[in-house]
Amino acid sequence: MARSNANVQKAPSVVLRYGLAIASFAIALGLALLAQGFAFRNVEVPLFLFAVALTAWFGGSGPAAVTVVLSIVFFDYFFTEPRYTFYVSASELPYFIVFISFALVVAWFSAVRRRAERDLLLARDQLQLEVEERTQQASLLDLTHDSIFVRDMDNLIVYWNRGAQELYGWTPEEAIGKRSYDLLRTVFPAPIDDINADLLQSGRWEGELKHTRADGTDVVVASRWSLRRGEQNQPAAIMETNNDISERKRREDEIRGLNRELASRSTELEAKNKELEAFAYSISHDLRAPLRHMSGFAELLQKKASSVLDEKSQRYMLMIQESAKRMGDLIDDLLAFSRIGRVETQKTLVNLEQLVQEALSEVRQETDGRNIVWSIGTLPNFYGDRSMLRLVFVNLLSNAVKFTRTRPRAEIEIGCDQGNKDEVVVYVKDNGVGFDMKYINKLFGVFQRLHQSQSFEGTGIGLATVQRVVQRHGGKVWAEGLVDKGAIFYFSAPKP
Amino acid sequence: MERLGRILMVEDDQKDVELTLTALEEYNLANEVVVVGDGEEALDYLYCRGAFKMRTGDLPAVMLLDLKLPKVDGLEVLQKVKSDEKLKLIPVVVLTSSHEEKDMVASYKLGVNGYVVKPVDFHEFVNAIRELGVFWAVINEPPPGSVKK
Repeated sequence: MARSNANVQKAPSVVLRYGLAIASFAIALGLALLAQGFAFRNVEVPLFLFAVALTAWFGGSGPAAVTVVLSIVFFDYFFTEPRYTFYVSASELPYFIVFISFALVVAWFSAVRRRAERDLLLARDQLQLEVEERTQQASLLDLTHDSIFVRDMDNLIVYWNRGAQELYGWTPEEAIGKRSYDLLRTVFPAPIDDINADLLQSGRWEGELKHTRADGTDVVVASRWSLRRGEQNQPAAIMETNNDISERKRREDEIRGLNRELASRSTELEAKNKELEAFAYSISHDLRAPLRHMSGFAELLQKKASSVLDEKSQRYMLMIQESAKRMGDLIDDLLAFSRIGRVETQKTLVNLEQLVQEALSEVRQETDGRNIVWSIGTLPNFYGDRSMLRLVFVNLLSNAVKFTRTRPRAEIEIGCDQGNKDEVVVYVKDNGVGFDMKYINKLFGVFQRLHQSQSFEGTGIGLATVQRVVQRHGGKVWAEGLVDKGAIFYFSAPKP
Repeated sequence: MERLGRILMVEDDQKDVELTLTALEEYNLANEVVVVGDGEEALDYLYCRGAFKMRTGDLPAVMLLDLKLPKVDGLEVLQKVKSDEKLKLIPVVVLTSSHEEKDMVASYKLGVNGYVVKPVDFHEFVNAIRELGVFWAVINEPPPGSVKK
């Protein structure tokens, strides 16, 4: 409304303004002539001046000038001697000049006054616009999720947004006018004087505060303060934006706690590992020696007393020696198995084909006199611990050789499945005695054997070793088998 | 045997000593074996001190060294021997029960001349000892200053 009024007042049409000039002059003239008719004297000058002022006020300086000119001309014509002529005598000239000057002054005054009022109106409109905009901005602050309030330099709250209401539980009406520290029972991370000094110096402050809500519960907030300065650069108000980080703090505390626990666990584990290592070391030194003695002295006894020992006793001696040998093998395998878990893997790029050749030469003595058809496919390079991977192949190949022993023509295939792009899958396939899939869960266990030892010897640690090595390389092992139809062992590992 | 070097055996386990000597006996290699029971005695022997004060300072043709020994362990003995200008000429063969890789690596780093893991199986054990004895006491030409029979 204010704006449309201003527009009308600002731009009345030229016709209207000059029409007003002529009309006001005409009315003044009419009234003057009327007054003259009733023999009133000296009314015409104030009437004309009134018309000039009126025109200047409503029509501006142009129409006012027209009124002045018309007034003077018709004043001269009707009201000065000689009447009804436009003649101006020299003696009346000053009178006219004074009249003109006076009219001009009146016109000027009203024009200035008019302009001042127009400026005032304009300023009012602008102010109104600004107020509207500010109100809109303030309601925008209400839209934010952050809790925002403004306090003056005495810490009295002067603004309180909806986020603050939601976070703390007080409405703006309840909060405004209160001292913020008292209302929120603020706990500062540093002396408040230091914080204020910081704020006054840099205009900003950030930190964590503890506040208490309306319902008495505590909340930890990440607080950001901005200082607003007045026109003379004096500190005027502080805007405080607070975000609830209680949950984050709680999680951080939780994580810190977990980390502490993890650290103590890993120290514990390290100690356990050391203990285990010492244990394994001791086993490898001390457990093998008595076995060697058992087997050695049994052998010596047999040699010395073989003439007096009967067949049964000879067999007993043999069994003592065999058992000692088997115990030795078990200890060796178990130590090798535990070593895989204890030592660090030293990863390099390993040529698997070369590794298979090495493993083959290692199992060669088991293949003597056998008819074995080997087919070795193209194998990729592999990122891993060479000596450990070698163990994998030695175990898998030696198994394949062992369990095809009953076959007149053994077929053993080593190959690579290009399964997916993230991992390498290598398999060893044989046409041996296979296994029953219902025992698959026992296949990779330590000391688990699916065959009787008189048909196939072994310690039951080989596949457990394979599994442990592969798992330490981030891969998986699995197998498929059919009784009397052969078996396939797979292992996978992430591609380098 | 005409040219037979003296073998210094450092071994604390009497049963192992007996088995080793038996194995060497079978090949007539046992006569010049000197057995000491721990690392300290081994060093005493080599430096001719303590119980071996009266010994002439000849070097053995080979030293068979166990690693797990009372008082001064095998690696320490090895380290002392290999850092002594005179003693480091003695060939040292570690003869141990253990398969521990770190022992082997440590021994080689100290300059050991051989590393043998005692097999559990008696036949293998005898074979290993015999081959060791034959090689070091008979075939190998020992460094100057060693005892020759």
